Amino acid sequence: MKKENDDAIIVDHVYKTFNVYLDKANSFKEKLLFWKRNRRETREVLKDINLKIKKGETVALIGINGSGKSTLLKLMTKIIYPNKGKIITNGKLTSLLELGAGFHPDFSGRENIYFNASIFGLTKKEIDKRLDDIIEFSELGDYIDNPVRTYSSGMYMRLAFAVAINVDADILLVDEVLAVGDQHFQDKCIAKMKELKKEGKTIVFVTHSMHLAEGFCDRGIWIEKGKVRMDGKSKEVTKKYLAEMA
Amino acid sequence: MRFFKDLYLYRELLKTSVKKDIGGKYKHSFFGILWSFINPLLQIAVYAIIFPLIIRNNIPNYTVFMVCGLIPWNFFSTTISRSTWVIVDNGNIVKKVYFPRAILPFSLVLSETINFLISSIIMLTFTLAYGMGVSKYILFYPILIIVQDVLMIGLSFIFSAITVYMRDIQHFIGVILQLLMYATPVVYSVETIPENFRWILKWNPMTYIIEGYRNILYNQTMPNMKMIGIIFLIGLAVSFIGYFIFQKLQKRFAEEL
Repeated sequence: MKKENDDAIIVDHVYKTFNVYLDKANSFKEKLLFWKRNRRETREVLKDINLKIKKGETVALIGINGSGKSTLLKLMTKIIYPNKGKIITNGKLTSLLELGAGFHPDFSGRENIYFNASIFGLTKKEIDKRLDDIIEFSELGDYIDNPVRTYSSGMYMRLAFAVAINVDADILLVDEVLAVGDQHFQDKCIAKMKELKKEGKTIVFVTHSMHLAEGFCDRGIWIEKGKVRMDGKSKEVTKKYLAEMA
Repeated sequence: MRFFKDLYLYRELLKTSVKKDIGGKYKHSFFGILWSFINPLLQIAVYAIIFPLIIRNNIPNYTVFMVCGLIPWNFFSTTISRSTWVIVDNGNIVKKVYFPRAILPFSLVLSETINFLISSIIMLTFTLAYGMGVSKYILFYPILIIVQDVLMIGLSFIFSAITVYMRDIQHFIGVILQLLMYATPVVYSVETIPENFRWILKWNPMTYIIEGYRNILYNQTMPNMKMIGIIFLIGLAVSFIGYFIFQKLQKRFAEEL
């Protein structure tokens, strides 16, 4: 019993395959007329992944493009489901996969904070409590009451990040989102994540920046062709990874 | 049941998406919320002129009679046809964030219910303007809305999920809704239909719901509560089955969108 409570995320024999439609019959007519046309390939993205991520651990998922890192992250958020195997998560979860999901362009930044935070499952009271923090973190100032469609892409991103990071979840899943934003804001995000790390949050982090993986994460997991190639201290994993890539 | 727990946990999402749906609709339009009235009033004007010409009837105050069927029918038809799109339209969030997907069709039904309550003003205005007043049977009004909602939630679960996999379901639904309108006593009364066709009306659950509204507002009599009760049970069954289908299909929403 104790053991189960220590784990934030358990990935148990997970397989994921995607159907890739080369020529998809989307409508009923097409399905009737061109039933042969529905050529599809099944692509095995993840093969028998087994992981246990402890509470409070910070984990970097590394690997080349198309190795299945992002798919694994999406499985953890329950946006998609595995074909075989199980994923169990303990605790409130937030994902910084793609930011600004559900922003309505005609509503103000303030209103969109409510929309966006409610998607993460926050109640009005909880959002009220965090509203000032979110606005301050986004550095939008008076622009917060302007419609979101008038924002620059940087402002949009800042607002989205500010909401997602202030959700106060136990598990944070982050996918290569820090690449956007200027240096100042990036540093601020890293600082905030370090703060969350100190508070004992579990963070899983997809990144191509070995510098970040080494500096920020305790543990590194190298995914290659849908399998765990190496799992260990982030320093050792990145070292081996870089050696192989070079 | 899982669904109710999710509804409670994500109540703020439900509230904001209803607000977004109702507020966002008129954000850029000059007349704003007035369109909620202009559209049905134009439709009423056209129907009130045309139908007495083509269908001979001796229904007193035909306009009121028709309005009391048309507005509830529009409520049904708009909700069902919009439900086919509700997941696809929200594809951008379904693909990116986890939240209980069943919230989407549910919030659609809720926001259309609020729209219906607003347009109920039209029906009341007509009954008052024709000097018919409001009867005590208005107390049954919320019951009818709940029964209709339960039925529509079930159907919305099914149609919204299937549309993700087969996009042209929406065209089928559009055609079926049009046919169904004429198989429901919206613009005519049951009595004007020849005996040998009445079985269609008899087997159509919307007949009893529309007649229910009409009994309350136009005839000012008790709705057929026995049939309304049966439809409520059917609606519950459809909702259970619909939710089950929805949960099966929702696992691959993000991949299919």
